[in-house]
Amino acid sequence: MAGTGTAHLRHDVVLSVTELVVEFPARKKQVVHAVSGVSFDLDKGETLGIVGESGCGKTTTGRAIMQLESVTSGSIRLNGVDLAAEQGEQLRQARKAMQMIFQDPVSSLNPSRRVREIVREGIDIWGQTREGDVDAWVAEVMESVGLGDEDVADRRPHEFSGGQCQRINIARALVMEPDVLILDEPVSALDVSVQAQILNLLEGLKRQFGLTMLFISHDLSIVRYLSDRVMVMYLGQVCEIAETADLFSRPTHPYSRALLASIPGNTLGLPQASELISGELPSPLNPPSGCRFRTRCPHATDVCTSTEPELVEHEPGHWVACHHPSVNA
Amino acid sequence: MPLVEPGATGAKTETEAVAPIKGGNPGQKRRLGLTFWLSAGWIFTLVFLALFRDILPIRDPDELGIRTREVAKFESPGRNACGGGDGQGRDMFARVVQGARPALILGLTVTIIGGILGSAVGVTSGYLRGKVDTVTTVFIDIALAFPGLVLLIAVRATFGNSMFVFIVLFSLTSIPGYARIVRGASFALSERDFVDAAAAMGATKRRIILRELAPNIALPVLSFAFIGFALVIVAEGGLAFIGLSLDETTWGKLIADGAGDIARHAHVALFPATVMFLTILAFNLVGDSMRALYSPREVATQRRLRVGAMADTGSGDEVLYIDDLFTALHTPNGDVHAVDGVSLSLKAGEALGLVGESGSGKTMILRSIVGAFALADVTRTGTVEVAGVDMLRAEPADIKRTLGTQIGMVSQNPLTALNPVRLIEHQITEPMLVHTSMSKSEARTRALELMQQVGIPAPERRLREYPHQLSGGMRQRVTIAIALANEPELLLADEPTTALDVTVQDQILRLLSDLQRDRKMAMVLVTHDLAVVKGFTDRVAIVYGGEVIESGPTEQIFSNPRHRYTVALIQSMPNLDLPSHSELTTIEGTPPSLVSPPRGCRFAARCPAAQDICNTTPPSTNEASEHWFRCHFPAGDDAEGAA
Ligand SMILES: Nc1ncnc2c1ncn2[C@@H]1O[C@H](COP(=O)(O)OP(=O)(O)OP(=O)(O)O)[C@@H](O)[C@H]1O
Ligand code: SF4
Ligand code: SF4
Ligand SMILES: [Mg+2]
Repeated sequence: MAGTGTAHLRHDVVLSVTELVVEFPARKKQVVHAVSGVSFDLDKGETLGIVGESGCGKTTTGRAIMQLESVTSGSIRLNGVDLAAEQGEQLRQARKAMQMIFQDPVSSLNPSRRVREIVREGIDIWGQTREGDVDAWVAEVMESVGLGDEDVADRRPHEFSGGQCQRINIARALVMEPDVLILDEPVSALDVSVQAQILNLLEGLKRQFGLTMLFISHDLSIVRYLSDRVMVMYLGQVCEIAETADLFSRPTHPYSRALLASIPGNTLGLPQASELISGELPSPLNPPSGCRFRTRCPHATDVCTSTEPELVEHEPGHWVACHHPSVNA
Repeated sequence: MPLVEPGATGAKTETEAVAPIKGGNPGQKRRLGLTFWLSAGWIFTLVFLALFRDILPIRDPDELGIRTREVAKFESPGRNACGGGDGQGRDMFARVVQGARPALILGLTVTIIGGILGSAVGVTSGYLRGKVDTVTTVFIDIALAFPGLVLLIAVRATFGNSMFVFIVLFSLTSIPGYARIVRGASFALSERDFVDAAAAMGATKRRIILRELAPNIALPVLSFAFIGFALVIVAEGGLAFIGLSLDETTWGKLIADGAGDIARHAHVALFPATVMFLTILAFNLVGDSMRALYSPREVATQRRLRVGAMADTGSGDEVLYIDDLFTALHTPNGDVHAVDGVSLSLKAGEALGLVGESGSGKTMILRSIVGAFALADVTRTGTVEVAGVDMLRAEPADIKRTLGTQIGMVSQNPLTALNPVRLIEHQITEPMLVHTSMSKSEARTRALELMQQVGIPAPERRLREYPHQLSGGMRQRVTIAIALANEPELLLADEPTTALDVTVQDQILRLLSDLQRDRKMAMVLVTHDLAVVKGFTDRVAIVYGGEVIESGPTEQIFSNPRHRYTVALIQSMPNLDLPSHSELTTIEGTPPSLVSPPRGCRFAARCPAAQDICNTTPPSTNEASEHWFRCHFPAGDDAEGAA
């Protein structure tokens, strides 16, 4: 399948997603093409950022990996085991190794339970998951997310601010010592100053626990802060994958360039966003043929209409899916 | 119509059962109030009498007035017999107490059985959705439409009218009502992230239903149970009246017996009727008070605007002039000082950015300009003038005209700002038709023009469409077109791009900024994002804890921030110039309470440079200078010397 390609995948990784397709039924027998052939992988201790605008399929990708959406086709391999081949109870077992943090920190916490119960939830579900003193472990995790105070555990979520609630969510996930932590817009509901606290916390936890993270966000400056590599998505497909510094210094896919130019302030020396992108996002019910970005791309030609571009290694480790990749155009 | 169906009572609809999801105000303790305690007291007394009837000094209800102090036939209520006597000289009080027992037993068992079974059906159906839900919903609908009375007559003919038969019958008919309410609540609850979070943890469906959903629907179900309880009592009374009730002495029967002679001996029917009425009322009131515990609507207080005494006026050339504005919201938890002594002014062609954290009072400043407060009882003092009109004290008609012709508003969420069932065309032409003498066709031509100006392709077609047919960015363009309809002098934009995508955000901000410059409008742009302010405003006001703590030309604020909060805010923005993974500056702690704001500097508790004086004395400032700030120890002082 074109528009995507798998040549960029590596071996011996924690998580490997190949040709992932997720479709939702819509009215009148139509299909929403939410994710169409997305491939990427995550190495141990690595943070991959997924960016794109709403509707580009970044949340669906995360939820599909968590088995919260049913996968139409493609494979998700966790530590070499294909989750698509697993069913029922075995699939549920795989969840132990993956945890997810959601966008709305308050709504992610059951309002009628105490913080102690919430953070221990994984252990309650799975029984003892590690050697040694469970209580001490829970206390250690609470401490490292900055909730070490004695009285925190007995309180209920509504007594905490958004930032503190997100700390509780992070603690709940960390207690399970996940192999992969998926974060879906974890700071976009928070204020700037609180955002910075949570980002620093995540950066610190990454070092302390050697976390492997999939960080989903629409905010490029935040993705840049936390990620080792960044993947840009548009309308269910991958446009570009590169090391963070490479992507920000040499954005190559026309859509990535438009996205970066739209950051308020546009300090990256790119032309004005309005010169790099035009028109409206097409409907995912009926995505354009060939390159999905062609309806808004200033460089589009006939080949873009007829043929889906594949991810090609433009520079070492810098993969771009475009027929006419441009660096300085 | 079933015999007992709590879901059908009055205004208690499915949507209201969903209320706990949106939740009351967190951290706010709701009190139950006097009505609750009086009602609960009545219920408690009733239960007590029914339980201990035999050992309490109450007459034998069947005794025909032969005790020492006799109760005469039809004796009126009074000293001898508090409920009076019935036609056979029996003590009415004793008989009513006797009737309380079947009422309570029937009510309680039916409520428990119906409530538990109904909730189980409802929560399963609402959470699992899909086919299970479709089938259940159909069953519930059929059950609710089933004529309960026919069932009762049929069952009674076959199985007699023992308490057991009544309990089974009433329970069965109450199940669908509970099921419907609980299904609605569970359906909405299961869309909340914590349910996904539990599934992501690997929780089984059973666990999610029992541990995640059940505790959250318990309170609403309990409150409906009280109302359901009252309905059981009502149903029994109604059946007794047509001679279909239990064998035992029930309130319904007592009333029915006494009703025949109501003209001459009213008390025989009225006494049990009053007790029954009060009981039903008490159960309903308890149920309602419990509903108030989780229903957000109860916070709403009367809508009232109060305005303080006269103050200064502007010099005349400002489009917007705000001086020493105080806005207090009177809430059950005390007065929220949402705007606390704010002064701002804005000339034609100027754009001002209002920046601050969530809850700092940015939106309240805008609302204070237009006087629109959705919920609360509000007091505004100080001066707000728009184009020379005193928005606090002018005649209502003048204020209305100013709102309609001088002020354009663009809100955060374009979807809720537009009316979903009206054509775009009507929404754009309405302000012109209401506030100007334009004809319909003139207004239409102008609408077309506006649509072009805000960059909507194929405007003729779009005018004939509904909001849902447009993308988020297009909708925001429409709200901008509406705001511009009457060529306002002042544009108020509250987070106009927060709900939009990055590339769209850039387009909309550019559009707003271009329009503002071309038309020489004054614009207030509210945002929590400093980066947005940078490119699109001339001046910035930083809002913290209900005050403006620093204000000045945009460039100066960024190049030379003085207030410690401004400095921290700028540093905590992820900065594209810093290498990734570098540590961000954070502001520890939380913003101050607006109910009892700190005495000194509002930022003192979080400020790294705070000293004693910061806690005791509010920093003063010269608001007349171009760049001013409220800080005892401003940043940059060492380098430049005292300003
Ligand atoms: N209807 C209300 N009843 C009681 N308090 C209210 C009400 N509306 C707002 N407030 C309080 O007024 C204060 C200022 O709120 P405001 O909405 O102006 O903040 P904001 O700066 O616009 O925040 P945000 O960035 O979240 O939009 C807050 O403490 C808020 O909780
Ligand atoms: S140049 Fe062609 S392939 Fe590349 S992004 Fe534009 S339309 Fe797509
Ligand atoms: S007045 Fe004091 S506490 Fe307030 S910002 Fe200035 S130094 Fe900090
Ligand atoms: Mg606001």
